[in-house]
Parts: sequence; C-alpha cells; structure tokens
Amino acid sequence: MISVRGVRKSFGSATVLDGIDLEVHRGEVVSILGSSGSGKSTLVRCINGLEKLDGGRITVDDFDVSHPKQLAEARKRSATVFQLFNLYPHMTAVQNVTLAPIQVLKQSRTQAESAARALLDSVGLGARADAYPAQLSGGQRQRVGICRALAMKPSYLLLDEITSALDPEMTAEVLSILARLAKTGTTMVFVTHEIEFARTISSRIVFLDKGQLVVDLPTGQFFAPDGGMSKPRIAQFLSKMRKD
Amino acid sequence: MTFDVTILAPHVPFLLKGALLTAEACALALAGSLVIGLIVAALRTSSSVILSRAAFIYVDLFRNIPFIVQLFFFFYGLPEIGIYIDAFTTGVIALSIAGGAFSSDVIRSGILAIDTGILEAAEVSGLSRSVIFRKIVMPIALRTSIRPLGSVFINLVLTSSILSTITLNELTGSAKIVASDTFRPFEVYAVLLIVYASLTYLVSLAIGALHRHLNRDRMPEVA
Amino acid sequence: MMRYTSFTSYDFILLAQGLGVSLALFLATTLIGLFVGTMWAIIRFYRVPVLTQFITFFAELLKNSPVLVQLFLVFFGLPALAKINITPVEAAVITLSGNTAAFIYVIAVSAIESIGRDQIESARVFGLSRWQVLRHVIAPQAVAFAIGPLTGLLVNQLQVTSLISVIGVVDLTKIGNILNLRTLKPFIVWTVVGGLYYVTAKLIAYGGARLEQRLRAHTAWKGL
Repeated sequence: MISVRGVRKSFGSATVLDGIDLEVHRGEVVSILGSSGSGKSTLVRCINGLEKLDGGRITVDDFDVSHPKQLAEARKRSATVFQLFNLYPHMTAVQNVTLAPIQVLKQSRTQAESAARALLDSVGLGARADAYPAQLSGGQRQRVGICRALAMKPSYLLLDEITSALDPEMTAEVLSILARLAKTGTTMVFVTHEIEFARTISSRIVFLDKGQLVVDLPTGQFFAPDGGMSKPRIAQFLSKMRKD
Repeated sequence: MTFDVTILAPHVPFLLKGALLTAEACALALAGSLVIGLIVAALRTSSSVILSRAAFIYVDLFRNIPFIVQLFFFFYGLPEIGIYIDAFTTGVIALSIAGGAFSSDVIRSGILAIDTGILEAAEVSGLSRSVIFRKIVMPIALRTSIRPLGSVFINLVLTSSILSTITLNELTGSAKIVASDTFRPFEVYAVLLIVYASLTYLVSLAIGALHRHLNRDRMPEVA
Repeated sequence: MMRYTSFTSYDFILLAQGLGVSLALFLATTLIGLFVGTMWAIIRFYRVPVLTQFITFFAELLKNSPVLVQLFLVFFGLPALAKINITPVEAAVITLSGNTAAFIYVIAVSAIESIGRDQIESARVFGLSRWQVLRHVIAPQAVAFAIGPLTGLLVNQLQVTSLISVIGVVDLTKIGNILNLRTLKPFIVWTVVGGLYYVTAKLIAYGGARLEQRLRAHTAWKGL
C-alpha cells in the first residue's frame, strides 16, 4: 500500500501540496487528474522521493520515503515512467531496460537481457531492442521507458504525464499498453490529462486543485452527475478538457 | 645558405626512438589526465563545499602556472623529499597533473550539461550514487566532451616537448642531439616542426572519428 | 667559485628582475603579435590571393607545433641557415610574437565572422568602402567580441614566455633555475616562482574582465 498522510510541499512561497491524504492499494489503478499547477506531478515526485516533504508522511509498503535507508526499499517497490522519457542516451533500448535489474536486483546479464527483450517484444519493440533512444520515435521511447520501469517488477507503477509530450497517434500506442497492464492487475498511479482513457482503465479517480485533494471517488461515481460532477470545479475542468 | 633534408636520413632511426618515447609519455599522460580529470570533475560537482573548493584550487593553480615551472618543481623537488623516480616517470606525472586540470574543466561542463531528468530516472530506479556516476554521468559527460578533450590532448602532445628540459630524450630531446651532431639545426628543427604539426593533425582526425563513433546513434542510421 | 648558500635579500631583486624581463617580453610580444595577427586577419578580409592561403597555413603550423621547437628553429636554426647572429632575446621576441600572432589571427577571424554578412553587405550597399566598413562597422563590434578569448590567450601566452629560459633568456624561470642550483631548495624556489606567475596571470585575467565590462557598457551605450 502507498500511504500519503497530510503531505505538504512548497517551492519558495508557493504552496504546491497542501495537506494531501491518499491511499493506493495493490491491484488498484488510481488516476490523478487536475489542471496544470494543481500539484499532481509533484505528488508523484514526493512518492518516489525526488522531492523532500515539508510536512506529512509517505510510506510505500510501510517504508518511509523521508528516511534515507527506507527510501531505498521504497524505491525497489515502485517504478516511475516520466513525461520526457528520460532514457539514458548512451545506451540501447535493451541496455536502458537491463541496467537497474543487473545493478539493483543483481540479476545476471543473460537473465536480465532475455527478460528485457521479452518485455520490449511485448510492446512491439522487439526489432528495435538494439537501437539508441535518439533513433526511436517519441512513442517508441516512451514504450522503452515503460519497459524500463516494468523490468524492476515493481509493486507500484508511477506514471507521470507519460503521454503529454507525444502526438495523438503515439499517445494511442502508449495508452494501449497501459490498458493491457491494467487488465493484468498492475497497480498504477496515473497522473494524466487523458480523461476518457483514465475513465476506461481506472478503479478510482482523484482530483487535485491548487494543492488540495478535492475528491477521491470510484471511477463510476466520479463521472456521475451527483458525484464528482456536482463539484463546479470538476465540471468546469472536465468540460474544458473535453473541448480541447 | 643551403637547405638539405637528406642529411637527416641516417638519424631517422634515432629520431623514431625519440618519437616512440613521446608517444608512450603522451599515451600514459592521457590516461592519467583522464583519471585525474574525472575524479576532480566529480569532486567539483559534488555537494561537499570543501571538496569542490579544494578541486577548484587545484585546477586554478595548475592552469595558471607555466608547465615548465611545475615540471622543475617535481623534477628537482621530489628527490629532496626522498622520492627518486626517473625523468620519464616524473614527466608523465607532471603532464598528467597539468592535463588533469584542463580535462577536469572540460568534463565538468560535460557533467553540468547532463539533463537532470536522466539522473532522476537513474536515482528512482534505485541505482547507487557510484553506479550512477560510473554508468551514466561519466559516459555521457565523456562522449559530449570528446572534441574539447581532444584539444586538451593535442596540447598535451605539444607540451610533452618540454620534457626534453629534464634530460628526457623524447622527440625534441633526440632532435637536439641530432642538431648538434650534424651542425644542421635548421633542417632538424624545421622537420621537427612539420612532424609535430602532422602528428597533431592525425590526432585531430582520430578525435573526429572517435566523436562520430561515440555519437553514432545521433547519425542517420545505415539500414 | 659560488658555494651552495641559503637565500639572501638580494634574491628578491633577482626575482623582481626576472619577473620584469618576463613581463617586458610578454608585453612587447603581445603588442607585436596583436598587430601582426590583426594584419593577417585584414589580409584575409580583403581576400588577397595566395597570401591568404599562405597565412592560413603558416598560422596552423605555428598553432600546432611546440613553441619550444619554434624557439630552437629561430635561435639555433636561423643563424646556421642564414649566417646571421641572433641573440636569445631577439629569438624570443621573434618566436613569441609569431606564436601570439597566429592565435590572434584565429580570434580576429572568428570575431570578424561573428558579424553577420548581411551587416557588411548592407553597409556596402550604402556606398561605404571595404576599409570604411572595416573601420566603422566591423572593428568596434569585433573588439568587444574578441576581448574574452583574448584574455584567455594572454594568460596562456604569459606562461609560454617561461620557455625562453631554455635558450638562455634570464626571465623569471631562468632566475628560478639559478636559485635552485645555488640553494638546493627546489620546493621553496619553484613555489615562489610559480606563485609569481600565478599572481600575474590572475592580474591579467582580472584586467581582461574589467576591460570587457567597460567595452560592453560602452557598446550598449552607443546602441541607444
């Protein structure tokens, strides 16, 4: 379980997260929606320990991310996919995927490589396994990014606006992979702008506004007229996003 | 007034021996400079104020004092404190230390240019700091700074001629001997000038090739 | 016969003299190099045939060969070839000026090239002669552009002057040699000599930075 309790975070005088409470259980797919600047990416960066908390507590399977030793354990349980892919530019796709399994999980090179090739194959990149990131399209790069995260066999997959830098066609490539993962029971925290897609794969939807959690509802209820839509802020956001 | 290079012919084997010594010294000093440069660049970009300050002082000192003064400092100074090493080793050490100061500056800017997102990806995947430095920071910084490192190396080759002042008969030292044996200093040094220029030209070609090889992924693919 | 002796107060005067010789040669060869290198760049700007190609080749040769070998060629080689007498100081002035000129040439060429062709062409369209364009359009901008690289070059060229000690010019490094042999205290001697070079280099860098600031302010004011 990922547990977020009363988390606060500010950058200078700007408060980005203002007392967030959230729980993500194994097997859930939780989408985090909100406009730009609502703090949703920062929340993910707090969960994986890239940002220090100014208040509150986050634990991943009871390991406190604010504690350096426990953070290492917490990080073994979660894996992050980034908006801008952040692939290692000097390594081929397969090397990107195998680095952490070999170094952190102490897998043998042959074991890690065959697992990586199988993963890349499963996302349709079997033939591009030995290409460098610069030789891949954006959608292909993000698929490598997903494989890199999955290769760590994480209990929780953190997805930080992973389609925001992609054009619609490439977005579709990447989302179809997530849909498949959701079906296999992979636990996901999915920060996104893709409302319709979030609706199809999520078990729960969380809406953030100005650093505060406005609602945390099962997907069906979130989109129901008497559920999330009854909040003017959410209705406004959804109608704006759908128009775009 | 005559200019006749053919008188040098009998001395070519001797000069080649000197050239070989120059090549050995430069190769060793290149390795030394890279090792020192990497360590110092790591220290300068580290979060420790003391370490980065110390690394800066090293770079600042060795970049602003003439190499010949550094060389004499080691050559005459080391025996004074009971360290007896030959001129070749002294020369290689001095070249490595001076070259390390210049390389570290180049590598440091290579490190600072690395996209922080890449480092964050490495960090959250649980890689240790040393693995991140060895497997990610170092190779990326090195490959982006191959060209400026090449200029540092070319300077190293030119600077190695100064090793002739501490009794080392590398290329320039051998040429001095040939010049005084043949009484034809103009021919000897004119040829030497051309040899060094050709040598550095070849090095720069090799660096261009290496740069293209290391950055081959950014080139259009040959299917 | 001089015996090994400790340092005396006279050694300060020796060091000061050595530093003076180094600085004098540095300043003289910088000025000559600045003039010659700029002339070369102007010849290239006018695209003088043959001469331009020759200068480019010659500058490359000077930049890509050891200064020590250049010094030997001038000091030992030229007298043997041309049957003339050349003193160590003359050889030092010729070599260092030529070497500095080669680097100044490169800086000047890139400074001129930093000014867009369109600027030069539009000035030509207004009927300015090539010389007027050079004098009023290119020179003021090129100088501001070149100060940074120039400062780096001068710090480097100061260090290069230390090589003239090898052909017997009694500069700061040669004084270091003399004191080293006499006192047998290499650490002290070379630390002091190195320190003097270091301070001088820092002063040059500081001066260059100040000048750059003033020129930047000057060009900004002119732009209003």
